[in-house]
Amino acid sequence: MQAFTPCRACHSLDPAERGLPGPNLSGVIGRPVGGEAGFDYSPVLRKAREDGLRWDAKRLDAFLADPAAMFPGLWMSMRGIEDAAERQALVRFLEDPSSR
Amino acid sequence: MNRRQFLGTAAVTFLAAPALLRHANAQEGPFRVKYYPVASGMGSRDTTPAPDGSIWFCGQRNGTLGRLDPRDGSYKLIDLGKGAAPHGVIIGPDGAPWVTEGGQNAIARVDPGDHKVTLFRLPEKEAYANLNTAVFDRGGIYWFTGQSGIYGRLDPKSGDMTVFKSPRGRGTYGMTITPKGDIWYASLAGNHIAKIDPATGNATVVEPPTPNQGARRVWSDSKGRIWVSEWNSGNVSVHDPADGSWKAWKLPGSNPRTYAVYVDDKDKVWVTDFGANAILRFDPVTEKFNAFPSDKAGANVRQLDGRPNETWGGESGNDRLVVIQTGAPA
Repeated sequence: MQAFTPCRACHSLDPAERGLPGPNLSGVIGRPVGGEAGFDYSPVLRKAREDGLRWDAKRLDAFLADPAAMFPGLWMSMRGIEDAAERQALVRFLEDPSSR
Repeated sequence: MNRRQFLGTAAVTFLAAPALLRHANAQEGPFRVKYYPVASGMGSRDTTPAPDGSIWFCGQRNGTLGRLDPRDGSYKLIDLGKGAAPHGVIIGPDGAPWVTEGGQNAIARVDPGDHKVTLFRLPEKEAYANLNTAVFDRGGIYWFTGQSGIYGRLDPKSGDMTVFKSPRGRGTYGMTITPKGDIWYASLAGNHIAKIDPATGNATVVEPPTPNQGARRVWSDSKGRIWVSEWNSGNVSVHDPADGSWKAWKLPGSNPRTYAVYVDDKDKVWVTDFGANAILRFDPVTEKFNAFPSDKAGANVRQLDGRPNETWGGESGNDRLVVIQTGAPA
């Protein structure tokens, strides 16, 4: 899955791998935004968690299109993925372990 | 292009935005903080001063390289290409800005005269390198990092490029060169710094004493000591390769997150703290910090650079550049 390659610099899909610069993404769909216990999130993501936001496929797709537009002041820094097909493939990849 | 020519072209590109100016309430000084608004949504991040007085800056979110005239706040944006996502910019021996252009997986040179963009693409097998930071060595070779776990060298004259695998994989981030010419990088996910042997391209890992510290960026002082911004620990630390020693200082506040580090011409150390939304100046002699909190939340200054009496950064979260003046500009 090429679209996930840049993400690997900071994130892991192995549930046992913790302590990376970004939160673990195993089971991210359905989880509260800013929901990895013990991870030190940006203030804007802490607020999203307090507001009760959860990751679903639609929200994740919109996030990946322009992360800082959805959560201004986000500590993570990346340009959004403009190509809708590439973005949706990445969402599917994160959503379904059997697709990996 | 000389300064007069540049200012002539820049003046027609954007209406000058007035810089916001305020005096910092610092413990030591005098210091002046100035903000320069740039294009909304551009994600203005890494900056570098140019010999002609302008400031180059990366727009990671809109794929542009910017050029600011600090005298009047006017700026020009140069489109680096489809899907561009520039991360870092430095000035080469040719006076041109050179960019780690992650979106196109290439090193980009922008001609300071006509703003023509030249790309030096990484090999196909090094796709998605997550290009990050670079330095020029004394022989004019451009060394760069990629956060996917690579570093490399580019000879600008021939275009020859070699990419090396980082010894411990992903996380290769900031890079610096010492006055003697040694090249070091930091590994954020790998929690170490490393020294590159330019002859072989091999890297030797050096472990900071703080475990899982998240060494993000590095900058050499005038004596060749390597200053390290430790993202996870909230420390700024220093390694002296001459005797192998380390020292570390925790940034003030309850939850510091040290992102950028820069050492100025007087060997004062500047860092950014995402936890405090501030730029800090650290004096290694007195071991005291001066804090310069942003006047807007979520500034997210990801890199610092400067010239005598001026420290520059990009507020990536606010689409502004910021300068802290420590005296009259040189």
